[in-house]
Amino acid sequence: MSNFILRKAEPKDVSDILRLIKELAKFEEMEEQVILTEKELLEDGFGDHPFYHCVVAEVPEDHQSSDGYTVIGFAMYYFTYDPWIGKLLYLEDFYVMKEFRGYGIGSDILKLLSGTAVKTRCSSMHFIVAEWNKPSIEFYKRRGASDLSDEEGWRLYAIEKDDLVKISTKTR
Amino acid sequence: MHFKVRAAAKEDCKDISRMIMELAVYENMADQVKTSHEDLERDGFSPNPFYECLIAEVPDEHKTKDGYTVVGYALYFYTYSTWKGRSVYMEDLYVMPDFRGKGIGTGLMAKVAQVGVEKQCVRLQLSVLEWNKPSLDFYIAKGAEDLTAKEGWHFLRFHGQTLDTLAKEAPKD
Repeated sequence: MSNFILRKAEPKDVSDILRLIKELAKFEEMEEQVILTEKELLEDGFGDHPFYHCVVAEVPEDHQSSDGYTVIGFAMYYFTYDPWIGKLLYLEDFYVMKEFRGYGIGSDILKLLSGTAVKTRCSSMHFIVAEWNKPSIEFYKRRGASDLSDEEGWRLYAIEKDDLVKISTKTR
Repeated sequence: MHFKVRAAAKEDCKDISRMIMELAVYENMADQVKTSHEDLERDGFSPNPFYECLIAEVPDEHKTKDGYTVVGYALYFYTYSTWKGRSVYMEDLYVMPDFRGKGIGTGLMAKVAQVGVEKQCVRLQLSVLEWNKPSLDFYIAKGAEDLTAKEGWHFLRFHGQTLDTLAKEAPKD
């Protein structure tokens, strides 16, 4: 299938984006953790202060998915900052529906975002992958990705809302 | 010791740059620092900033032996979780060695947490080097959880030549 386009997401795409987010979370066995709503996606991506940027992959109607969708892949990214090297592009989510894999859509999305990174003066494109997700790790390593957790020992930590509130009220 | 935590101003970039280098030296990665204070000024203080920064300042009578009153910083930015929404990511937290143990690191982090809560962020994330025991203890005491251990997350990147190679094959607009 060579017939697909990649385009910037628009406000009308939020319900497709949320659907694809949930499909990816299901694959990662964490579907119940998705609490984001369409309303939040709309406000956070298309409001005054966008927290993310999004690219969608779309096929023509005659190639729609078995359940009738034409938006069949997405990538969500934003810009982060490394005080040593400056701007980075951070790839938050990247997903192509199962029935549309193997046609180079994922590859093209990755290349598009790499182009965006270079154009916007980013030194690097960063992302996280679960260590059990062998197919994804292979996909990225085949294209030259390096594993900073293995190579340099970086570990991801998170402080959830309740503890965040606790430490914030202790300001002097 | 009395100290103040405030939002960094453009003029603070020279101090921030100095401390970034000090932190890199501590992490044994000084040769990897490529940003100048001019880069920090451009990237943090233009209409579309890529980071926010808080600094810790002591009064003149407590200044360092080299004459600095800015003795710590926290650099952070906003990220987005497709599961939970707005998050804040604390990229750097540093207090000069002579000023540790006085609550300055806690004060800086508390202010980042406060900013995050005000912006309706659902969590704060950060990364720590596995050998950095003092930092790990500091964050765990504040409720931080190791998601690399718990959920298996690894940091990956496309950098330099590998990024350029991919970019050259980007689909045309």
